[in-house]
Amino acid sequence: MAEEKKGRAVATQTAARIPKFVRGNLSATLKAKEEGKKVAKAYIADGQDEIMRAMDIVPAWGESFSGVCAAKRDAEKYLQKAESDNFSRSLCTYATCHIGFEMIREEQGGAMPEGAPWGGMGRPDMILGNGQLLCDPRFKWPQALQHYLRDVPVFITNMYYPPWDPNTDHHEQEKFYVKYCMEELRETVKFCEKITGKKMDWDRLAAVVELSDKTWDLFIDTYDLRKAMPTPMDTGDAMNTMVPLTFNLGTQEAYDFYVELNKELKQKIADGVGVANPEKYRLIWAAGLPSWFALNDFQYFNGKGAVFPVEVTYRGCERIERLDLPKTNDPLEHIAWRWVRYWTHWYDAARKRPGSIPKVERIIEYIEDYKCDGAVFHSAFSCRSWHAGIIHQADVLRKIYKDIPILIMEGDIVDISSYNEADTHNRIDAFVETLEAYKSKRKN
Amino acid sequence: MTGLQNSKGLETAERYYAQYGARAIELKKEGRKVIGYMSALMPVEILTAAGVVPVRLKGFVDEAITKGDAYMESIICPFVRNVFDAAIKGRFSFMDGMVLPHQCDSIDRTNDVWSSNLNLPYWHFLNVPHVTDGPSIEFMKEILRVFIGTLEKFLGTKITDAAIAQAIKAHNENRRLMRELYDLRKSNSPLISGVEMMKVLVAAMSIPVDESSALIKGITEEVKKRTAPADGNRKRIMIIGDQIDNTAIPESIENAGAWLVADDLSIGGKIYWPEVDEKTDPLQGIAERYLRKLKIPTTFVSDGDTYEENLEARFGHLKQRIAEFKVDGAILFIYKYCDPYGFEVPAMKSYIESGGTPVLYLEDEYSTSTLARVKTRIEAFLEMIA
Ligand code: SF4
Ligand code: SF4
Repeated sequence: MAEEKKGRAVATQTAARIPKFVRGNLSATLKAKEEGKKVAKAYIADGQDEIMRAMDIVPAWGESFSGVCAAKRDAEKYLQKAESDNFSRSLCTYATCHIGFEMIREEQGGAMPEGAPWGGMGRPDMILGNGQLLCDPRFKWPQALQHYLRDVPVFITNMYYPPWDPNTDHHEQEKFYVKYCMEELRETVKFCEKITGKKMDWDRLAAVVELSDKTWDLFIDTYDLRKAMPTPMDTGDAMNTMVPLTFNLGTQEAYDFYVELNKELKQKIADGVGVANPEKYRLIWAAGLPSWFALNDFQYFNGKGAVFPVEVTYRGCERIERLDLPKTNDPLEHIAWRWVRYWTHWYDAARKRPGSIPKVERIIEYIEDYKCDGAVFHSAFSCRSWHAGIIHQADVLRKIYKDIPILIMEGDIVDISSYNEADTHNRIDAFVETLEAYKSKRKN
Repeated sequence: MTGLQNSKGLETAERYYAQYGARAIELKKEGRKVIGYMSALMPVEILTAAGVVPVRLKGFVDEAITKGDAYMESIICPFVRNVFDAAIKGRFSFMDGMVLPHQCDSIDRTNDVWSSNLNLPYWHFLNVPHVTDGPSIEFMKEILRVFIGTLEKFLGTKITDAAIAQAIKAHNENRRLMRELYDLRKSNSPLISGVEMMKVLVAAMSIPVDESSALIKGITEEVKKRTAPADGNRKRIMIIGDQIDNTAIPESIENAGAWLVADDLSIGGKIYWPEVDEKTDPLQGIAERYLRKLKIPTTFVSDGDTYEENLEARFGHLKQRIAEFKVDGAILFIYKYCDPYGFEVPAMKSYIESGGTPVLYLEDEYSTSTLARVKTRIEAFLEMIA
């Protein structure tokens, strides 16, 4: 235990500001009504952030709300409420937790459910979803929610990217994908204009998009500092420091946050301060949303000298120049290209390595860049989006790269009933032993 | 069990049902290429126009998953897992290729798992959009063109517009014929049982369209000659869900003393009602049918101005079918881990109930291992509505 505490004591100070961010996002939805602003039930990584920000629409993030409930270990009452109206426990628990909350509020005539975390979240004036390739709940959750909030209009856009196919050159298809994205974004703007009664200020949107690009770059530059040995920050913190990028993209606060984080990490590197002391094993968090109720497991890893200098999860951006985006004055076209290329820019690398897939290429790139000794995946049962295909990624990684130690943990994001701390720690212990054996074998 | 007389057409259907893919194997020996596919979203017209034998894949409910779990997580819908398990065990070794239309996360997120491990000479993921607006129709046409291009390259032949138009006609005709057969379930009692109908639906999805049409025609003629059994007091049940492709559930319903008279399944009602417009450009017609006319929960429908109007657009066809087939009760059978269907259970259930039809919602596996539980629930439901 002593070792574990030490691990946490060196976590970044900047990350400690995150609860304020999350709380601020929740209370902004409550304040919005007084200020005459519209609240949109929105989804992260949905490509609509900048449109909302440029139109003063305040996003109400269901994922954040449910994640907070989970972290407080207080989601069960909402999950049960949803279940009482036949939402299966096998569905995305971010969605069912949030829907349960809204159901209770509606039943109470709009009064905030008692004990809602941090004062709860404002009732949406609109619901913005995206039938993109990321997940089904991104368009089914809005529809299901509207069953209880019947007066709230729903708009679902659809932004795709060319699917990975080793035998097809996706570059040929990019143009019509981008065109489709742009048209769908334009439809989103039209819908937002209708609901807010205001016209889009295109110059403002362009400025917001520019700020997002800068934030993407700064985020990557900052995270790249974690390549240092010992690493000054690991995934345990990154599950917090992702908040500004993920929930506040296109705002100055988000940018400023990473300026601070950047400074702090540089200082830590200069001082030789690492997450684990000594740092024995470097791992990649290769896929999977975390169990929000069990973030302490990262400390458990740290306590064993294992750190995560890099993770795929919530690293939802890339250095802009790497995406090689065509020049355009139309901010929607820029968003569309950035969207498509973000998802496809590992395709060429995957095509060069027979048997590879883009998701694994990305993992390999990080393993090499961040000098990792092993990979950890988390498989959350209620979300197929990030967690289906993990076995395959692990297999491909072993086959086409090298036989590095891999741990696949099983659990959930919100539903704590799936979790057993003792079992999880036992599995981590066994994995650390494998890592040790692997490292000493490599030394010999 | 049903008291209905056997017939030759039904015997053929029974054989194709029991030996799934048998006809495809025969045709392959004659030199035809066989392309397997998943989901109601597959534009079969294009496969027909290409001259290949399209086979919609199914699983085997009485077989445990023995190999698939090593490749595919258990958080995937049990139907997809079962089909994959069958494929990896070599049950579909007659396939020259496969098309996976983007239906849901369980399919989209396992695309790599299928393609890498099956290693077929032809593979295509058809990126069907989830929304139905104007830009989505144009996009759907683009992805159809890409699909056609890859298929042409694989087969070394051109798939002409004329061939597609011809295939559209053949499939529309097939749909009309199947609806005629459905009509024979409207009488009290129905002339063809739900168990028999299930076999016909499954047989039909494993053979080329012209053979399917001939088979259905033959069955309809035979069934028409039947006299309805006298026990006309049984409750009339409709089943709703994605791919239920075996007789286990129909048997549970009919052995419990009811008739299964209608369905809105992805191998039945969902695909045999909507047709492709023959008067418009073939790809336009196909795009519109698959995006706008197919009522499956993976396409987001928002045609109305209000929630209530949207409910009509999403589920109105169910009320119509309930009325036409004089349905006394509906069973909503949803697979575990299926987000698209799962999220619409409350809305669909209350919509159907608002029309006075009781609904039993079951969430279950694609496996007979849980059948005892399912039977008990069905029996209790039938008692309740008796
Ligand atoms: S990505 Fe996963 S957790 Fe997030 S909304 Fe979709 S299904 Fe739920
Ligand atoms: S049952 Fe649901 S999850 Fe399974 S294939 Fe059909 S739509 Fe997808």
